[in-house]
This record gives sequence, structure tokens and C-alpha cells, in this order.
Amino acid sequence: MAERNERPKIKLAVYWGAACGGCCVSVLDVHEKLFDVVANADLVFWPIALDIKYNDVEAMPDQDIDVTLFNGAIRNSENKHMARLLRQKTKILVAYGSCAHLGGIPGLANLSTKTEIFDRIYKESESTNNPNHTRPLEKYEVKEGTLTLPEFFNDVRTLAQTVDVDYYLPGCPPQTERLLEVFMAIVSGDELPPRGKVLGATDKSQCDECPRKKSDKKTIKEFHRPWEINDDGETCFLEQGVLCMGPATRSGCGHRCIEVNAPCRGCYGPAPDVIDPGAKMMSSVATMIDGDTSETIEKILENVIDPAGYFYRFSMPASILRRKIPENLQAQAPLQK
Amino acid sequence: MEEIKIGVYVCWCGTNIAKMVDVDQVVDQIKFLPDVAVARNYKYMCSDPGQDMIIRDIKQHHLNRVVVAACSPRIHELTFRKALAKAGLNPMMFQMANIREQVAWVHTDREKATKKAVSLVHAAINRVKWHESLDKRTIEVNPATLVIGGGVAGMSAALEIANAGKQVYLVEKSKKLGGYAAQLDLTFPHFYSARQLIKPMIRHVEDHKNIRIFKPMQINQIFGYMGNFQSTLQLANGDETKLKFGNIIVATGLQPFDPSEITSYNYGKLPDVVTSLEFEKMLAKGRIETCEGKEPKNVAIIHCVGSRNANYHEYCSRTCCMTALKFANQIRSALPESNIFDLYADMRSFGKGCEELYTQTSRKNVIFLRFDQQNGLPEIRSTNGEEAVSMLIEFTEQFSKEQVEVPADLVILMVAMESHADAKDISHIAGISMCGNSFFIEKHPKLDPVATTSDGVFIVGTCQAPKDIPDSISQAKAAAARVLATIHVGTIEVDVITATVNEDICCGCQTCVSVCPYKAISFNKEKGVSEVNEILCKGCGTCGSTCPTGAIRSRHFTDQQILSQIQGLLSPDNKFEKM
Repeated sequence: MAERNERPKIKLAVYWGAACGGCCVSVLDVHEKLFDVVANADLVFWPIALDIKYNDVEAMPDQDIDVTLFNGAIRNSENKHMARLLRQKTKILVAYGSCAHLGGIPGLANLSTKTEIFDRIYKESESTNNPNHTRPLEKYEVKEGTLTLPEFFNDVRTLAQTVDVDYYLPGCPPQTERLLEVFMAIVSGDELPPRGKVLGATDKSQCDECPRKKSDKKTIKEFHRPWEINDDGETCFLEQGVLCMGPATRSGCGHRCIEVNAPCRGCYGPAPDVIDPGAKMMSSVATMIDGDTSETIEKILENVIDPAGYFYRFSMPASILRRKIPENLQAQAPLQK
Repeated sequence: MEEIKIGVYVCWCGTNIAKMVDVDQVVDQIKFLPDVAVARNYKYMCSDPGQDMIIRDIKQHHLNRVVVAACSPRIHELTFRKALAKAGLNPMMFQMANIREQVAWVHTDREKATKKAVSLVHAAINRVKWHESLDKRTIEVNPATLVIGGGVAGMSAALEIANAGKQVYLVEKSKKLGGYAAQLDLTFPHFYSARQLIKPMIRHVEDHKNIRIFKPMQINQIFGYMGNFQSTLQLANGDETKLKFGNIIVATGLQPFDPSEITSYNYGKLPDVVTSLEFEKMLAKGRIETCEGKEPKNVAIIHCVGSRNANYHEYCSRTCCMTALKFANQIRSALPESNIFDLYADMRSFGKGCEELYTQTSRKNVIFLRFDQQNGLPEIRSTNGEEAVSMLIEFTEQFSKEQVEVPADLVILMVAMESHADAKDISHIAGISMCGNSFFIEKHPKLDPVATTSDGVFIVGTCQAPKDIPDSISQAKAAAARVLATIHVGTIEVDVITATVNEDICCGCQTCVSVCPYKAISFNKEKGVSEVNEILCKGCGTCGSTCPTGAIRSRHFTDQQILSQIQGLLSPDNKFEKM
């Protein structure tokens, strides 16, 4: 098949930072289209599938890799090192999936500091049995030499907060079809969109193509979890009192959640002009609340379980809030760039 | 995009700012910030040379953004926008940092104040980078006027406007027109009867075809802006009436100071200690008498009750001295044999015919005694029937330094004028600021004394400061002239600071439709997007903050502009070397 392809194969890498593995699986989900992929690309680095070591990557010439799909957030010094290394070795670095794009689920840890996280895990948790107060060390001397562990940073960062990113492919995980479209666009040598753009998604929000019926009657007297309502399968979730991130979320996923009668969770990130989707959605929901007195409003709000986890589920590190700052640094905390 | 070039100007405001803010330091701190092309400080940026400096720099250095760090934008934003327009720049490419009211006037530590000023200027620089050119829009001025308050000032303003053939809505809280002036007996310095002055005025107002009176009625809410205000009034029969008007004249008046909080006067405990207003009523009834119905042999008048005293009101109430002299004259005519004691702290007889009234009164066997508020107030006590008089007033007479006792059967307390208890509500409803002593603040204390910082809202009479009837009427007629001028021109230019929908992004969720208080947003079913009616839109920003997709932008208040401003405010670059 290769001889039929006039264009030389591109070199493709897939790497994961702080990730669950779902993004890598979404790449595997191309199924039989994998033949198209390997017909057009050599996979030069993919820890989940190929035994290629970091040293091998370090040995590659700069800009040798054509495209790297970097999934996962930057949680520790290893993630950061690999992000920098792959940036150096790659022509087109793609932040692949919600974690690389906005910080994702691991980014919710930014509501706690490193100290709080370590105390919880190595001291306080109900299942912790740690009588010697063992904590992870970055360096440990044994007679065979020095053992090292990556440094756990105080907060999770997005890929773009760590290195320059060429494109973003959002989603938790991204729709495999979108990946294929983007991949084929790259290998076909089409003119690429301007750098910094979100690919594999539209410029509109979920509601634009949402199959559910919506009206201007967005007044909420009571919030419900999805299982608490008799969903008619047709009416806008918000109009039924179920929080849905759809209005503040970029479209492109094909309404995977909505199609199975679950509200949008916001994994595709904000529409183009929105700086902070969590704040936008909170501000929007605040205007929908139908209460006259502060008591009734507070009562209605009590039903919003875990607002930070809901509104900022995928976007905390990329938001204005960004992370909790350790107390000893609070006075001189620098602002995000 | 063209290269951004910002000119930054830090004003001293004479010593107002320069005294508390190191203006050189501010310029040194911000001149190296990206995109700052010119940074200067100057004594009075609002003066002609100050504005010329900006205009010259715009032309010479091809500036396309300007930041002025000076007073409140409410005072001079327009001045500087006009300067930009003069130099050929769109006036919206301007941002003001308020380092006078928000820094110099409210802080006492110069270094910290300077640091704060740097932060505010940095914020303004960050914001102005995102400013966009906006056009102006011409809107029509509704020729009706709302007058709040039916006292002498409100009625005068209403009559002036109504006589010019324009509709007036006069709203009075109580059941009767006339206000406090209608409760007076005679007026100073010519002893005209207040009733004879006010009664015809009330009748004239009530009969006027162009004046619609609402009483007793309170205004609860006013929407809109200059030229196009509106309010809904709840009528007594339960109905509602919607009023539309282009201008507002606030004439909510005063309330008398309650002297019971001054313990040494024993007001409320001694029945023959009365306030000046109670004495007016006594005079109006035609008989000066004690609570037992007897003619008082000794009458004492005490000045400055609640005025010119840091414990009560620091200001002078301006009318009490002359009213006291009027009382002395009226008592002398009614009770030729009585002893009249006038206990004053200072005799303030400014104004036409007033010093003459003082001279004339001093020839009428009135005993003037001076006390000094700094050395304690006079003490009124009852003689409990043990002496020929019912009360004795004890104090140190200032010229002789003697401790004296003055006999009295009736004491008149010349109580201060206070801002009305409703003033705070009115300030919220009409959008007027209040000064420390709760009177309304004029737009400029010298140059624009009846306007307020809210365009189309004017203040007249004693809601602005204590004053007498002719001063109130002068203000009322001045405000009427201002209102009539806007009605005559018929249109005003306003900035198009409205909301705008990016149809490419709008997803048609319609969250914005129901939140708009002006019903300016509608849903276009065909296109599946929301649309803003720019004539109805007042730029309040509610839809912008409710729009979850970022499709709605509130012009001149975009998320980007505000967030950049906040980032500038918090920037770690705001170092201050001397700290």
C-alpha cells in the first residue's frame, strides 16, 4: 500500500501526561481505520502501544516528529519534561483531549494544595495505614544507586500553560471520527487552519444543534439530578431543572451524552469567545433561578451539588480561579500569564 | 491590527492628588509597560494646556489610546473624550483611572497610596488596549418632566416648565403641597406672610393644565437615562400608571433637627421649650403663650441648635439667625412689655436686607448674649415654681466671660435643617450621590450647582443644602431652564454602549430573552438566534453576563476589557521601589 501513497508517511507520536488512558483508547477506537492511519503515518512513539523509551525520543533530531497527540494534563515534573521534549521534537503539537486542553478531571485537584493532597492520601484517608508516616521522596539513595520519582507540583497545568501548543482537539475523550478527520486533513497536505485553533469541533455551542426543544422559559425553581426527574426525552434539560453545560460548551462531540438522555458535562470546553466557561455558566444559571428572596434563592442553590466540580469539571486549571495557592505563597502569588 | 500606542497622563489636581500620590513615581512605574508610548504628569490635566498636551501628543506620537489618571470619570471623562475627538481619535479609545476620590482623598499613607495609584493606572492601561471605536447615537428627549417634591422649590420648577407649555408630573409624598414654607408664619427680612406667598402658588400649580399632581405618592423606581426615563406609580385605587419623562427635578426638601438629643436643652421634658417650627405654628395661630396659656414675660431664643457643632451637624443651617431676628420682632410687636433674650453663637446676617434686619432688631430692646459652643451649650432647667419665672438658662457669656442665668417662660430652639430621612432612598431611585452630611451632591459645586452626575437629574432647594426661600426658587428656576433647554434641542447624543449578538456563536438557548429588563431582546426563530433592539437596549449588561456562549458582548464592557483591567490591577509588575 505504501508504494501507492505518493506522499511520504508522516511521523506520528501519541503521549500521555496526567491522564486516565481514555484518550489513548480513543485513538485505538479508529478500529479498521487503523489501516488508513498506518498507511499514512509511522507511529514513532506511543507508550501505551509501543515499546519506545524516553531515551529514544531524546535521540531523535529536533522537529523530527510531524504530529504529536499529547493527552493528559501536567501534574508532575515528568509530564513537564516530556511536554518540553516533545515540543522540541515535534512540528505540530496537538493538545489532545480535555486534560491537555483545559486541565480536565485531574485539574479538579487544583481545589486543594499539594500539602492537602498528600495529607489526605498519606495520612487522613479512611483506608490509609501508614504508621511510619512514609511520604514519596523525589530522591532516595540505595546501595545500587539513586532512585528518583518525579516532583509532584502544587497544581495541575494545561499543556498550553507549559509549552506552546499548535492545535487543540477537545473532548473527554475526543470523538474518534473527529480525530480521523483532523488526521486525514494533516496527512493530505491541505492548508492547515491558523495556529492556536480548536480543531475537531465547531465554533458554536452544544445548544445550537441540540435535538431537544428549547424556549425562553429558563426559570429554575428547583435543581434536580438527572435521575430525579421524569425526563420526557424532548425538553431542554435546563428547562427541566437539570444542570446541563451545553450552552457554555463547544459543539462537535455529536451530543453523545444528550443522545443517551444525560445532560452535557462540558468536556469540549468553551465556545470561542468565552474565557472562563465555569464562570460563564454560573453567571447564566444565576439568572435562571426563580426566587424573590435571598432565603428562597439559597434554598434553590442548595440543590446544586458540588458546584465547583460541576461548573469547572474539565476547566479548573484553565479558568480564572485556576488553583488554590499555598498559604505561605498567597501574599506574593503571581497571576497567570 | 495597528500597533497600539498609549499616552498616559497623571494629573496632580493641584495638590489634591499630588499631596498624597507621588505622581513622578507613578509615571516612572508605568512608562516602561508594553504599548505605553508617552507618559507624563501635569498640574491640571483638565485645563486647556493639559488637554492641549494630549491633543499634541496624539498628533505627534500617533497615539491611538489615552489614559488619564485624575479625578472621577463622572467629572471629567467627557472633557477628555472631547479632547480625543478634537485630535481625531474616537472618544471611546480613552480610559480614566480615578486616583483622586479613590486614592488621594481616602488614604493617609503616601507610599501605599502611590502604590495603589500605580495599580489603578496599570489596570486602565490594560483595559484601554481592548477598547474599540464606538459611534454615537441620537435619541429624542421626552418633553415631560418629573418633579419629586411639592414644596416651594418643586412647585417653582414645575410652574416654570409648565408655563413654557411642557408637561410636568409633580409627585408629593404628603397630602398637601407647600412643604415647610407653607408652615411658616412670616418670612424674613421683610415680614411677608408665607401663606400669602405660598397659597396662590399652590392654587396655580393645582389649576395648571400642564401639571399633573400625584399625592400622596412615593416614587419607588425609575428606569432609563436622560431623555428617556420611566416609572410606574401605584395609585391609591390600586391601579398603576406608567409615566415617561425626559428629565427629573428632585426637590425633596429638608427635615427639622430633633433637639431632644441635646440633653442640656431638656426639649420634650420642659413643655415650654419649643422648636422654631412649633413657634411658627404658634405665631400662625396668632397667640404667643406658654403651655398653661399664659403670656410669657421672658422669652429666650437659642441659636445653632444642631448646627455648627461637630456632635450634630458641622454646617451652618443658614436661615436660623434671620428667623430668630424675625421672631424677636414678632414677639416685640405682640408682647411689648416682655424681655427678649437672644442667645446666639454667631450672628450670620448675610444676604439682601439681612444685616439691616439685625441693626433694626438691635434697636428694639432685644438683649443679645453670645455663647461659645466650644465651651459647652447653655443649660435650661426648671425653677420648679420656686421663682417668678418657670425656667433659667445658664451659660458663660462670651464677651464678659461671666457665668450668667437668663430667666425664661418660653424658650425657642432654632433647630437645624437636616437632609430628609428619605434622602437615601431618593438617591438610589434617582441615581444621585450624597455628601457626608446626606445632602445631595451637585455636579460641580461652583460651575454646575443644580445638575448632578446623573445626566438629566437636577437637584433644587434644601435637598441640596440648607437655604432660604429665594435661593430655593432661584435654583428651581435655574433647573427649569436647564430642562427646557434639553427639551428645546429635542435630541441628545448618547454613546452606543449597547449589547450586541454574534450570530455565528449564538446557539439560540434564549436565556437572555427573559432577563432583559427593557424587553430589548427577541428570538429570531428563522435564524435561531437572539436579536438586540439597539434603540431599546440601555447597555445594562444583564444579557452579557447571562449569555453562556459568549455570543453577547456588552460594548465597552466586554469580558476581555474587564478581565484585562483586573489583571492589570493585580499585576506583580506593580512594584514600588521605595516600599
